[in-house]
Amino acid sequence: MNRKQELRRAFPCGLMRREFVWQMGAGFAGTALAGLLGSEGFFNRAAGAAEVPASSGPLAPRQPHYAAKAKSVIFLMMNGAPSQVDTFDYKPELAKYAGQALPEDKEFINSGNRKMGFLTPAWRPFHPGGESGLLISDYFPNVRQHADKLCVINSCHTDSHAHGSALVAMNTGKTFIGRPSLGSWAVYGLGTENQNLPGYVVILDKRGGPISGQPNWSSGFMSAAYQGTLFRPTGNPILNLERPAHIDEQAQRAQLDLLAQLNERHLRERHGGEDLAARINSYELAYRMQSEAPEAVDLRQETAQTLEMYGVGQEPTDEYGRNCLIARRLVERGVRFVQLYSGGGHLEETWDAHESIEKNHGRHGAEVDRPIAALLTDLERRGMLESTLVVWGGEFGRMPFSEGQDAPGRNHNPYGFSMWFAGGGVKGGMQYGETDEFGFEAVRDKVHLHDIHATILHLLGLDHEMLSYFHQGRQETLTDVGGRVVHDIVA
Amino acid sequence: MFRCPAHRCLPHSLALVCLAALLPTTARGQSATKPNFERDVAPILVMRCLECHNERQAAGGLVLETQEAARRGGDSGDVIVPHDVDASYLMDRVEAGEMPPEKQGRPQPLAAEETEILRRWIAAGAAWPAGRRLDLFEQTTEVRAGRDWWSLQPIARPEVPRVAAAQQPGNPIDAFIRARLDEANLRPAPQADPRTLVRRLSFNVIGLPPTREQLERFAADPSEEAWEQLVDEMLASPHYGERWGRHWLDVVRFAETSGYERDQEKPYAWKYRDWVVDAFNNDMPFDRFVLEQVAGDELPDRDEQSVIATGFLRLGTWNDEPNEPLDYQYERLEDLVHATSSAFLGLTVKCARCHDHKFDPIPQQDYYRMAAAFWPGPIAPGSREHLGGPSPEALGYENVLGWTDVRTEPPPLHLLHNGERHHPGEVVEPTPLSFVEALLTSAEADSPSTQTTGHRLRLAHWIANPDNPLTARVIVNRLWQHHFGQGIVRSPNNFGFRGDRPTHPLLLDWLAAKLVDGGWSLKPLHKLILTSETWRQSSDHPRHDAYADIDAGNQLWWRAERRRLEAESLWDAMLAAAGELDLSIGGPSFRPTIAAEALEGLSRKGAAWTASPLDEQNRRSLYIYTQRSLLVPFLTTFDFADTTLPCAARDVTTVAPQALALLNNALVHRRSRELADRILAQETSGDLKRAAKLAWLYALGREPSEDELALARAHLEQQQTAFAQRLAANEKAGESLGTPSLPPGAVLHLTAEAGVETDHIGRVAGWGDQSPKGFDAVQAVAANRPQFKSTSKDGPSAIHFDGQARFLVLPSLELASEDVTIVAVVSDLASDGHREIFSNWDGAAGNSVTSLFLGLTGDGDVRFSDDFAPAGNVTARERPFVLAVVNGPHQAAVYLNGEALAHREAPLSPRRLDTQFVIGQQGNIGGEYWHGDLYELLIYDRPLSEPELAGVGQYLGERYSLAPPAPRSPEQLALESLCHVLFNSNEFVYVD
Repeated sequence: MNRKQELRRAFPCGLMRREFVWQMGAGFAGTALAGLLGSEGFFNRAAGAAEVPASSGPLAPRQPHYAAKAKSVIFLMMNGAPSQVDTFDYKPELAKYAGQALPEDKEFINSGNRKMGFLTPAWRPFHPGGESGLLISDYFPNVRQHADKLCVINSCHTDSHAHGSALVAMNTGKTFIGRPSLGSWAVYGLGTENQNLPGYVVILDKRGGPISGQPNWSSGFMSAAYQGTLFRPTGNPILNLERPAHIDEQAQRAQLDLLAQLNERHLRERHGGEDLAARINSYELAYRMQSEAPEAVDLRQETAQTLEMYGVGQEPTDEYGRNCLIARRLVERGVRFVQLYSGGGHLEETWDAHESIEKNHGRHGAEVDRPIAALLTDLERRGMLESTLVVWGGEFGRMPFSEGQDAPGRNHNPYGFSMWFAGGGVKGGMQYGETDEFGFEAVRDKVHLHDIHATILHLLGLDHEMLSYFHQGRQETLTDVGGRVVHDIVA
Repeated sequence: MFRCPAHRCLPHSLALVCLAALLPTTARGQSATKPNFERDVAPILVMRCLECHNERQAAGGLVLETQEAARRGGDSGDVIVPHDVDASYLMDRVEAGEMPPEKQGRPQPLAAEETEILRRWIAAGAAWPAGRRLDLFEQTTEVRAGRDWWSLQPIARPEVPRVAAAQQPGNPIDAFIRARLDEANLRPAPQADPRTLVRRLSFNVIGLPPTREQLERFAADPSEEAWEQLVDEMLASPHYGERWGRHWLDVVRFAETSGYERDQEKPYAWKYRDWVVDAFNNDMPFDRFVLEQVAGDELPDRDEQSVIATGFLRLGTWNDEPNEPLDYQYERLEDLVHATSSAFLGLTVKCARCHDHKFDPIPQQDYYRMAAAFWPGPIAPGSREHLGGPSPEALGYENVLGWTDVRTEPPPLHLLHNGERHHPGEVVEPTPLSFVEALLTSAEADSPSTQTTGHRLRLAHWIANPDNPLTARVIVNRLWQHHFGQGIVRSPNNFGFRGDRPTHPLLLDWLAAKLVDGGWSLKPLHKLILTSETWRQSSDHPRHDAYADIDAGNQLWWRAERRRLEAESLWDAMLAAAGELDLSIGGPSFRPTIAAEALEGLSRKGAAWTASPLDEQNRRSLYIYTQRSLLVPFLTTFDFADTTLPCAARDVTTVAPQALALLNNALVHRRSRELADRILAQETSGDLKRAAKLAWLYALGREPSEDELALARAHLEQQQTAFAQRLAANEKAGESLGTPSLPPGAVLHLTAEAGVETDHIGRVAGWGDQSPKGFDAVQAVAANRPQFKSTSKDGPSAIHFDGQARFLVLPSLELASEDVTIVAVVSDLASDGHREIFSNWDGAAGNSVTSLFLGLTGDGDVRFSDDFAPAGNVTARERPFVLAVVNGPHQAAVYLNGEALAHREAPLSPRRLDTQFVIGQQGNIGGEYWHGDLYELLIYDRPLSEPELAGVGQYLGERYSLAPPAPRSPEQLALESLCHVLFNSNEFVYVD
């Protein structure tokens, strides 16, 4: 019997979902009881993720569908959309065509009806990196040192030219809000290793959240147990972690002791109190989290050399360096999925370089290049890179032409853009797919955003078609009708 | 482009499992006999071929619905040649595994048994009964529902069962339930005790804890009559509509903003909420409830209220910047079809958008028949002005969020093949949907309106027709669900093939018939349910473990379900226990105070969440503003409904963040403090036992047991000792508990109580900085000096600015960074114009737009530099108030008396800090003078945390008599701690 059949057998038709009883074990996202066992989700007829042991919460670690390459994902989200021809997609022909218009047979939507300019070569030179000689521009000189770890996908394309919907699509697979995000699918499928921390963490840029906000890390129609948790990079990283001023640890301990005694009496007087017991347990976990979560962001435990490497305490790298370092610490502690935003708010505060590639990418590149390089170094030297998939990219790319005569900015481009993967079981020093000679649209080995999602799930050991969630009469999946795993990049 | 997720609708896992189970019975033992067409052949053709080879699609030119069509063959010629298997192309394709075709790279070959049936059928002459037309939807099969599906059949009026094993119950509901229990040889749980019943009733019907009077009254007289009276009382309460209206708001994806990037407010959405509340309270007949929401603008007796009801169609998300506006109209249609069909019909009609429904007898035409009713509405891409709705002129009312047709002759609506706009098919008219056979030819009600098409009114009448078997079944199921915790159909928004089957089909029909026969009135059904023994049984069965082995899901209702309070009831119950709950009904929503750190994630600079005045914040949580990009974290932590899609049943999760919220959230602590104060106001003797008893009574509605009392006393004593010790230790350091002192580290601390240097007529020449930095304020020019007021019966010491060119200069104050906190205790006597407390504006130096200042303008609008203005409003300004502003790396925020007043998800844009700071005017402009008293001014060169700011507000508030003056005593703090524990207890959070 193959794996899929086994999974089906674990959830034969007709078995009442409510007959599964979660025992204790209310972790960060804890134990979801009767209501979660309702008509939606995990327990309806077909199994989405692997078997759930009877005694576990929704975020208890689960076996993948097949041997996983990666245990965790760090998604470096370049909010606002970096320009591929200025970063990871070397197009020498642009110099040749500089000043000319894109050929007329190339069709596209002029997002926002911006001025139409002329083909413009990269604003900074490209140089080969590593033994592979991958060509990477001078906006990422430090990342270039890691060229042999990178698998650059030059043929990405997506479904929207507008930031709001494209970002939601990059996070959830669809251009409209309301669906679970990639991180939610990951923790739904695999649970998480550390029940005292959230399984899916999002750290925003201090300049602001992404357009469309919370739907970007929502669990959509899934249980809220799978939604992303916003982490603040200093102090108390999550909500309600700080005790009010007049309650010290001792006072709270006394409260919890009384609470436990009252709850135990309440439980003893009742039959079948799995829900009550789970809630009792959740308080002990909450108590532990109050020390564990701040510990995870406490960078005083890192050496000066490490802080220096990430650029912590220096400008302009301090913020993203801190976030990258926290991401490593979270993954080290068993967090499944971490997403770090670079760019927040609007326009030039993000990678949305309408005004000037050089000014914008110069600024944002300098903020993230060294921290990202440090993250790759750090993961490798700790032996974590093999099991940690690092993903870099924005919601789409940018046009190879300017926004007017000699204008230094570029408009949105969903037709072709670059992302890269590193670690987590992908081949290094590799380039996959191509755009046309202008870097305008993906033409060879095209990779749709559903393919990106399918591949990320695959590296986590999850089959994107099998990982389904029963909602409103339908087996919903992240990739919906589309999605193919890009096997060529898997090591 | 919209890509149709067709194959995803087919659950390969389920289909294969069930098919595998089916096949042996179909083919068993028939190898020698001639296949029977109906029994053996038709199911294969219907299930495996007709999806593509029907008259609408005719893949390859082949139709397999009738004998004639099958004999005609397809583009490749003959397909079925009677008696000649080899000449039958169908068998070639089937045996080659090419038909049915693969889906998403997965082969879908017929099983060997199926192939064999077809082979023998053709060999035997391919008999096909005369006139027999196969129809994909004709009957329910192992893999899909047909029009004979249970939920589509007319509502039966079943006899009430006779119960053999016991005395015949007086309430028919009990007879239906007992009959099934008897069959399973199970006994119902005993009736719950009176206290449990009253608490259950109150939370269930009005969403609030019962009053002590209600508890005591029923405990004293737990008779049938008393129960009935209590039920009547609850159902007559205006809070019934609030409670049950909220359930409906979940179903209709209620929110007050559009979602997406700009997340614009949907103005007057709250009027729809109030309409729902009123409809429940007035027991509006449910058929009317349908009509008004779907077509309230088209009714002959339309009025403003019925137009408000069409807000139902306006509640969905709305993207003002869709990727492709022409495609987006079809997304909006889907929202409307989905909202309407799931709310009223309990069917997933939206699944037929791209193709015939994969599981239910809903052809693609039906989707478009329903969509066509909405097509004349404001669907087409147009101006953003009305947020995707009609203009007030078209609607006929100002200040209403409603829906109406905007085109009386809209372009024809084409069915879209695969849901793709570029592949239009036939034009579809708004005619009755085909799956309710009883209503195919229902008389059409015409709209008297010439402004509209009447399409929606006809759809509404079709839905609300007593012969539509879905409508009544779906709503009585929702009633049952919210009374019991689970519906009779446990998938309340899906009565189709993939939903759950009813656990008690006869009861469901009996209730549905009762509803229709009773003129669609809901309250009598509520009463019938609430007075049943089934509803009143205990959640605890003496034979729980044995019964749980037999029926773990409690599908037969051998006990009541213990239920956790919903987010709203939890919120309201704490306010009620603390005696703070404001029960006023209706009106615009309020915004509760939210911790600044919870406001991260908004992208709009300057988008501020401005908390409502505190006196509005104690209203029921139903009235909390529902902003799609920022749902109140406390509510979402406790499984508040998703607002993007209809939500028929909320999740019930138990997670550690819920524990953290109840342990540490300021909201819960404030309630605990208020409850402690409420108790102490009654129990002044210091008797711990009596205080504890009151805590139990208020929080849990009962007296504690002796055992619990002992625990409570021990806790009170332990906490009192601990708080007293800390208090003593802190007093040594000059601090108190519960009234925290100012956080250390101020870089500037001016207080009128110390260091004021006056001239001979009491004007302030110098004001000494109490911080170690020594950044003293001075005024060398006598004419510009403000007046000093020393402590008097009118109040504490203050520096008085009269609005006439009085100000002070801070010649040496330097701020290193823009991460700063400014706290001022002031009064304000002005009512218009800009006026500043603190500023470094210097136009000549070039910081006219980048200066850092704090001031007010107009009628109390706060200005935290020009970059964050207005930043909340201060109403009562003549008495001293504490204004604190924070600029941090992540946000800027304003606090009034320690409470968040305004916040935004971005710091101030960069400020120039190298110019001179002054007090009482706008930098060096010689204008915008302060008019009022300044008592204290503090500057920190870091953003203070939320608890620190609360502490500052409290400390200064008490110092300036803005809040109860007495510091919290160890006794108060200990009682507060006990109350807090009770709010966290399982007994508080669960209803038995």
